Amino acid sequence: MSDKIINDQGLVVRHDLVALVEHWAIALSGLLLLVTGVFELPMANRYYITSLPGLSWSGDFIKSMYIHYAAAVVFIAAAVFHLLYHGIRGEGGMVPRRGDLKESLVVMRSFFGKGKEPPFHKYLPEQRLAYGGMVFIIAMLILSGLVKTYKNLYAPDMFLTLVLWATWIHNVFFMLFVLAFAAHIGAILLRPNRPMTRGIFTGTVRLDYARRRHPLWIQEMEPESEPLDEVKTAPGSGDMAEKAEIREETEEAPPPAPVVISEKFPRRSNN
Amino acid sequence: MKADKKSGLNRRTFLRASTGVAAAGAGLALPGKVFAAGPRRLATLIDLSRCDGCPGKDIPACVGACKAINKEKIPEINEPIPEPWPRKTIEDWSKKREVFDRLTPYNFIYVHKAEIDEGGQKRTVFVPRRCMHCDNPACATICPFAANHKYENGAVVIDEDLCFGGAKCKTVCPWEIPQRQSGVGIYLHILPSLAGNGVMYKCDLCNDRLEAGKLPRCIEACPQQAMFIGDRKEIYARAEEQAKAIKGFIYGKKENGGTATLYVSPVAFAVLNETMRKQPGRPDMGPAARRMAETDKMGRAVLQAPLFGIVAGVAGAFMALSRRKDRVKGKGESRE
Repeated sequence: MSDKIINDQGLVVRHDLVALVEHWAIALSGLLLLVTGVFELPMANRYYITSLPGLSWSGDFIKSMYIHYAAAVVFIAAAVFHLLYHGIRGEGGMVPRRGDLKESLVVMRSFFGKGKEPPFHKYLPEQRLAYGGMVFIIAMLILSGLVKTYKNLYAPDMFLTLVLWATWIHNVFFMLFVLAFAAHIGAILLRPNRPMTRGIFTGTVRLDYARRRHPLWIQEMEPESEPLDEVKTAPGSGDMAEKAEIREETEEAPPPAPVVISEKFPRRSNN
Repeated sequence: MKADKKSGLNRRTFLRASTGVAAAGAGLALPGKVFAAGPRRLATLIDLSRCDGCPGKDIPACVGACKAINKEKIPEINEPIPEPWPRKTIEDWSKKREVFDRLTPYNFIYVHKAEIDEGGQKRTVFVPRRCMHCDNPACATICPFAANHKYENGAVVIDEDLCFGGAKCKTVCPWEIPQRQSGVGIYLHILPSLAGNGVMYKCDLCNDRLEAGKLPRCIEACPQQAMFIGDRKEIYARAEEQAKAIKGFIYGKKENGGTATLYVSPVAFAVLNETMRKQPGRPDMGPAARRMAETDKMGRAVLQAPLFGIVAGVAGAFMALSRRKDRVKGKGESRE
């Protein structure tokens, strides 16, 4: 875990290079798999997608299959790497925890102005739940896809029941993958979550945002800071949050100088 | 039956092959080995030196027998047939069921008449055409709904209850064998205007009859005993023998990566192919490469991908742990 506070830039490192490469390898290859998977349905010609500039290949099932396979190599290798690399290193911050479901309902209610957000660790409870769901969906897609690929190459007369299971699991989880992808993008579009977006591009988020919304994470990086046991809600869901959002809308760079967000969370020097 | 005995493929031999009494270890092929070979695997042989096109008959016997047995296969058409959107292609053969000189959803076999001129000598060769039941048929393996399947006995069969009629199987078939009938099938119950367009139909090698230990109807009905079915190895050997005997040629052995249908002809297939113009429902007999072979290498990389991830993940994690250990050690030493 390379999370760290960069005080002079007012930033917190949220994802290291490995995590960024993993995320984008899975995201981009997943997107390509999704598109070429759709092209494996006899839709491109019917819907005139083949007439679109640069997409004449979309009606060629063999070419689409080749691209689908190429994307699958990246997707599978990256997914397996992710599980092993972080599993061996004991990094389980995204693994769903007990109480996440209940807590995520509280968070979602707060998005609609009902109640206040609890203080967060590095990840929101719904992020952990979504991660668990996505791992399951991707695992099913990979397993069923491997069976289908083996059949295509070596066993065209594979036992029909197995072929039907693999095919329909692949189809159903393809649809769930589309929904999960849409939900992932939808979550980013929610205003309170937007400051996290830069993290997946640059690896860092703003320190003031992290202090306001992820105090438990900050505390992990600053173990000497005041414990948060008594804190029931983070100061992010009130006036301070609005102020932060205004800053966000203006797209101004965060002030380099230390910012004291709350008396409950005194700004510490990291030097 | 007489001819069957002559060929060494009598009913007893056929039954033994089809029921797999002698079968042991039949099952999935292993990488690097031939596709799904096994004792229960069947193949058919069409001997063009024997087929005479059934002169004097309105319809060749094989075609008539096939039509009769599959008469009720297609259910009543949903009228009016929903218009697909946005491409408005409707294929309706329900009012032309009697057509027998090409493949249609109501006609799974037809006989092509090839008029050959061999050095000024006229010759006629009759070529029954139907699904080749390929060894690794893309029509089946990449059907998005697994509605088309290759069985262990070699028959490639479309499940009309699962097929959406998207015609992908026809597109990837080198001979464009499957034929669509719009207005029937599961798509009518889902989004008839937006997805699907009927059901694809083609020869299923009378798979139900095979499972019951019977011969395919076309083979049974042929008065010339021009068609044979039996254990794949025996049929392949028989085709070689026959080709040698008549100084003839074989088609179907290598086409599309190999098939379960071998044609033996006294005339070169390149010559026969000149009499065939590939058009809807009328396949040619040209060279047919297995296009899916273009994806095989990448497919193998997909099967190896978990291994790439395991190696990279374990190596990466241990390198990172080792770096962390060094850092901790370094800090400890500097404090001392």
